[in-house]
Amino acid sequence: MQVVQSSLSNKITGHIISSMHSPIENTDICLWLNAVATSRDKSAFTQLFHFFAPKILNISKSKLSNKTLANEVVQETMSNVWKKAHLFDESKGAPTTWIYTIMRNVTFDILRKLQSNKEDNLSDDIWPMVEMAEVDDEPFSDHLEQKQILSVIDKLPQNQQEVIKGFYFMEMSQEQLAQHLDLPVGTVKSRLRLALIKLRGLLGVNND
Amino acid sequence: MINHHPKIELLIQYVNGELPASISAGIKIHADLCPKCNNQIIELTKHAAETSFAQEDTLVGIGSEVLSLKGDEPEYNFDAQSMINNITDMPAETELKVDDTPVSITLRGVEYELPNVMKHMSLGKPAQIGKLSRSRILLDEGHIHSSLLRIEAGGSIPEHTHNGYEITLLLEGSFKDDMGEYVAGDFIVLDGKHQHQPMSELGCLCYTVVSDSLHFTQGINKLLNPIGSFIY
Ligand SMILES: [Zn+2]
Repeated sequence: MQVVQSSLSNKITGHIISSMHSPIENTDICLWLNAVATSRDKSAFTQLFHFFAPKILNISKSKLSNKTLANEVVQETMSNVWKKAHLFDESKGAPTTWIYTIMRNVTFDILRKLQSNKEDNLSDDIWPMVEMAEVDDEPFSDHLEQKQILSVIDKLPQNQQEVIKGFYFMEMSQEQLAQHLDLPVGTVKSRLRLALIKLRGLLGVNND
Repeated sequence: MINHHPKIELLIQYVNGELPASISAGIKIHADLCPKCNNQIIELTKHAAETSFAQEDTLVGIGSEVLSLKGDEPEYNFDAQSMINNITDMPAETELKVDDTPVSITLRGVEYELPNVMKHMSLGKPAQIGKLSRSRILLDEGHIHSSLLRIEAGGSIPEHTHNGYEITLLLEGSFKDDMGEYVAGDFIVLDGKHQHQPMSELGCLCYTVVSDSLHFTQGINKLLNPIGSFIY
């Protein structure tokens, strides 16, 4: 139960945060990454490139204030995406987080080379790519936060509680829930949506 | 029990990759021992990724965005197609090898296993004054100096203040000053406002990052000035 509860808090807050500004279609990105990983699919990579490269370019231009270096960040980051796509594990986090980590690490090493003249590439020791798993079996993680979320869920109307608990505690799909509660899928979806809006308000998550 | 954590501002800069390697490594050492900060870092990274990659063009609907990007070619100041060609000519990287061989250091005959994050950092030759042993971490960060510092049982550092800041990450053992007792994993930040005289009853090993030389405050200790440059 402990395990389920602690992943619950992550999941709910994570869900709210990502639905706050979720213009990124993670499923598409995952599909492209998978295509690169399994069949070295060049057109999928091209999609990834046109989605991320302009953003990476903007970010690194402002960080490095040097066009050549900014291009180097794009080149290095996207090369790593190509070469390491098979190491991306969807179950361990969003693809955007994975690519962000690569970009941050590449930029860090370039900056360090610039400032300290060191090519020790420490970024992978500081932020190891293999460690990107979420810690969800941490028994003494955030008790307070969990308790808060659990008590907030109890404030929801009974029918919303049912869907929220089924969805997050028991990790049931919306279809499974519909079957389990003997409701149309549409009803489950709208209850879930209402419950999330309400939870967001109760938890004080701002729409910044 | 760990009582001293890096401030949230520091964690945000860490996640953004904006801190020097020395301080970033200190936070990594702490996070490996502190599930609370580790989880916070995971959340902050997720958040940083979302805000970095979500931009104004998000006004376009979720599904259509990708399609519309395909239509209007994004602007680059380089030849995107040839970059894509170059990249896709590269072979996939074989599985990442995780090198778990522990690195260690021997100070006055005592061998200490060092945190993983120090795997690729080179260490200077150990030096000693009294009950203090120090080995520089050769990171070449200008006025920021990092060291491994060992205080032998019963040893202490004369009372001092800091011109800049001093970050101490206790790796093994414990020490105390007038503000309390510290244990392994504690992330301690001191600046010019603080004065302290750390002493260790049973001995300890610390990872330290100091941004400016220390200032000794007690009369007789001014004679001990070599220690100032020793610890800095
Ligand atoms: Zn902490």
